[in-house]
Amino acid sequence: MSDITFKHHDPNVMLELWHVTKRFGGLTAVGDVSFKIKKGEIYALIGPNGAGKTTIFNLITGVYALTEGRVIFDGTVVGQGDAIIKDDMRETDVKPFRKQPYDIMSRGMARTFQNIRLFKSETVYNNVLTACHAEADYNIFQSLWRLKVGPKWLTKYYYQEKALREKTEELLKIMGIWEQRDMIAVNLPYGQQRKLEIARALATDPKLLLLDEPAAGMNPEETLALMDLIREIRDRFDLTVLIIEHHMDLVMNVSDRIFVLNFGKPLAEGTPAEIQSNPEVIEAYLGKEDDGDGDA
Amino acid sequence: MGIEYFLQQLVNGICLGGMYALMSVGYSLVYSIMNFSNFAHGGVIMVGAYVGYFALTALNVPFLPAFLLCGVGSGLLAVIIERLVYSPLRKRHAPSLYFIISAMGASIFLENFVIATIDGTPRNYPPIFDNRINIGGISLGVDSLLMIVVSAVALLILMFIIQKTKVGLAIRACSYSEKASTLMGINGDLVIFIIFLMGGVLAGFAGMLYGMRFIVKPTIGQVTNKSFVAAVFGGLGSLPGAIVGSVLLGIMEIFVASFNSNLRDLFVYGLLILVLVIKPSGLMGKVVEDKA
Amino acid sequence: MFSWYYIEGILIQSCYTLLIVLGLSILTGYTGMFSFGHAGFVCIGAYVSILCTMAFGLPYWLSLIIAGLAAMLLGAGLGKITLNLKGDYFCIATLGVGEAIRLIFNNLQLTINVGGKDFLLDGAKGVASIPLKTTLFGDWNALSNGDVGTFLSTLFSSALFIVIIFLTATALLMNSKHGRSMLAVREDELAAQMSGINTFRSKMLAMCMSALYAGIAGGMMAHYFGYLQPKMFLMTKSTEYTIMVIFGGMGSITGSVLGTVLLCALPELLRAVGDWRLVMYGLAVIVIMIVRPKGLMGGKELPVGRICRAVGRVFTKKKKDLPPPDGGSVGEEASV
Repeated sequence: MSDITFKHHDPNVMLELWHVTKRFGGLTAVGDVSFKIKKGEIYALIGPNGAGKTTIFNLITGVYALTEGRVIFDGTVVGQGDAIIKDDMRETDVKPFRKQPYDIMSRGMARTFQNIRLFKSETVYNNVLTACHAEADYNIFQSLWRLKVGPKWLTKYYYQEKALREKTEELLKIMGIWEQRDMIAVNLPYGQQRKLEIARALATDPKLLLLDEPAAGMNPEETLALMDLIREIRDRFDLTVLIIEHHMDLVMNVSDRIFVLNFGKPLAEGTPAEIQSNPEVIEAYLGKEDDGDGDA
Repeated sequence: MGIEYFLQQLVNGICLGGMYALMSVGYSLVYSIMNFSNFAHGGVIMVGAYVGYFALTALNVPFLPAFLLCGVGSGLLAVIIERLVYSPLRKRHAPSLYFIISAMGASIFLENFVIATIDGTPRNYPPIFDNRINIGGISLGVDSLLMIVVSAVALLILMFIIQKTKVGLAIRACSYSEKASTLMGINGDLVIFIIFLMGGVLAGFAGMLYGMRFIVKPTIGQVTNKSFVAAVFGGLGSLPGAIVGSVLLGIMEIFVASFNSNLRDLFVYGLLILVLVIKPSGLMGKVVEDKA
Repeated sequence: MFSWYYIEGILIQSCYTLLIVLGLSILTGYTGMFSFGHAGFVCIGAYVSILCTMAFGLPYWLSLIIAGLAAMLLGAGLGKITLNLKGDYFCIATLGVGEAIRLIFNNLQLTINVGGKDFLLDGAKGVASIPLKTTLFGDWNALSNGDVGTFLSTLFSSALFIVIIFLTATALLMNSKHGRSMLAVREDELAAQMSGINTFRSKMLAMCMSALYAGIAGGMMAHYFGYLQPKMFLMTKSTEYTIMVIFGGMGSITGSVLGTVLLCALPELLRAVGDWRLVMYGLAVIVIMIVRPKGLMGGKELPVGRICRAVGRVFTKKKKDLPPPDGGSVGEEASV
């Protein structure tokens, strides 16, 4: 189906969730969540375990179909549920639909996973190279001609593949895992696997990067380094970042705005300072999180 | 077509369907929890048929003990296969492709082991119940009726275990999410042991019934292909679906065969393709969403 | 016993089997999909090609192309209905389609009258006296008779030529973004999707290529044996092809070559073992999956270039009569 774009869409908004609801059977995993993420922002999604944060990621990326609501990515509707609550922005009669995940992602989204999902038995280098595919458009027959010489339509493979390999090298160097390029991904130490996953995500040239608990299992120093890294790649690649995180230090330091979820329901939204001083959040989340921090 | 002939064929169909049900239930149980098609199931059925054959001929035991022996033999075999073949893969969290390939290896092994040690010639069971009875003017073989009763009882017991007992609850929980169930204190290894045991026992019964009705040879395990079709027809991964699908498939197959016996196998695979095109989730299947 | 005629036969068989295994390697080894009905695609290819040559009098090379395309079309149809489904549907569907094709030809009674000549497709009895067109490496007699045209056409449609072409093309394709996307599907389908890879298209491509290879090989097979019966395409045949892929190693092309050549020659060498051969195969498959799931080659390629250089080194050293400095023998290179 053709894309639905909004004329009155605010061009400064990268991602908008509009009254998004997801139910599994009778269970409401995400209930009526709305937020807008501005371009260039680092936006954090926090909430206790089971609050529905990863479900929101899966709704944005099209892994799950929306029950209700709408997801708009850079002015294009990428997901539409059955009914729209409080619909005041309907321009056309939009039927519920769901785009294929690869379609959504290739529009300029990339994500990492809470439980790292690499192409396990491939080398670090190939993990990133595989994700670089989008920039090459040579077809099956063009991939059979490997030489530099020949008419332009025939030498596509050579030049495009060269560009892909240069990009892969650049990304691996930025993430500091160039030395490990020939290692099998699953043999990397945990922290480097996280970095590799981010490198793979960046390889698709995203506008919006979704990070699902990137600091999980990292020690404080690694977390600190990761914070710098996230800021650095945001600036370097001109990204918007949506981040799910448990580490409160990381969230409060790195993010521009924070959205708090509790049991699938929105609880608060604001700058780190506002969130830290919000009594509801402190009661529902931060109080519990203090105990949690003790364990971590 | 006379009404008597029709009813006789119906009984034959239910009889065949019951046998498919015994097979496809074991397959569906494994599929619903371990998420792979256990293609070694056919080998287990075949070994069950041989156990029954030798119990009746070489050991001269009466029907009922022989029947139970089949169940025990096949149940043990299924559990042994799980321990030796699948368990090492499970420990490694191997992809399901590896399980399918190993299952294929196991089925090749079983089939050819029997060919190499016994031989490949088809054998006939000694006649056990070859008398016929008359019900309302319709002459029916005692063996057909017995098969229907036996299949029904075995399946009812299975459904009772799954629906009403603690073990059944654990199995159902694991079929939703094995990982989560394990975290909740359910012994995943034990559940898998039990489903293989139950599936194996039913496979043994099916093997003996098949042998009684048709013949015994090393390749009869391939009849399970039809029970896979039945499982898809009923809804992949759904236990009641597998039973309903099997019985319906059996009945349809018999009627197609009475029309033209050459077409019966073709009909079954044609039906499979039709189901996949029209309604892949089958009669009672559910749509599953991926977990990220 | 080992006359050239005999060896040539084994080599031709190895060639078309290799083509099938290569296709299956793309499907199972690279993309991680399991097919139980590959013999069905071979069957379609075989029947379509003899239909072309015997009923319609088309040249052999054209019949191979048509056979391949017919099988590919079937593969594409099968892919279209199953590849979007979650679960083992694909696997069971291949099983069903493979058997269905065989059963259709088993029941098909067909007489085609073309140009006054009857061509009979007689169900389970099969088709006999198919022209023997498959050569190992061209018809060299024709060349010595001065018939260059015949020689060239047989050369370009010879088993060895076709297999080398497809081997090269496959190796190149697997080392491109298309091949890498297939590997990504095998490794983690969700992660592949989340990297923007159209996994359906990758799986479809694998399925189509695989069916194409099998169809062409079927045509070669029919024109090698000279007769055709549906029972040549039983499900056990499909599993045998899969075993070759697994022996060689999933995700390795040179592995597939090794596996095929080994398992094609082995039945001849293992005659004495008889029925135990397949028992051992079954056992070996299980052990491979547990101990070394990547097979002989462990998912790596045999370093063809390095072996050539190493062999060259050995020969040049012999000439100069120098002791080998590092003992880099061919065997060691191969085991890297």
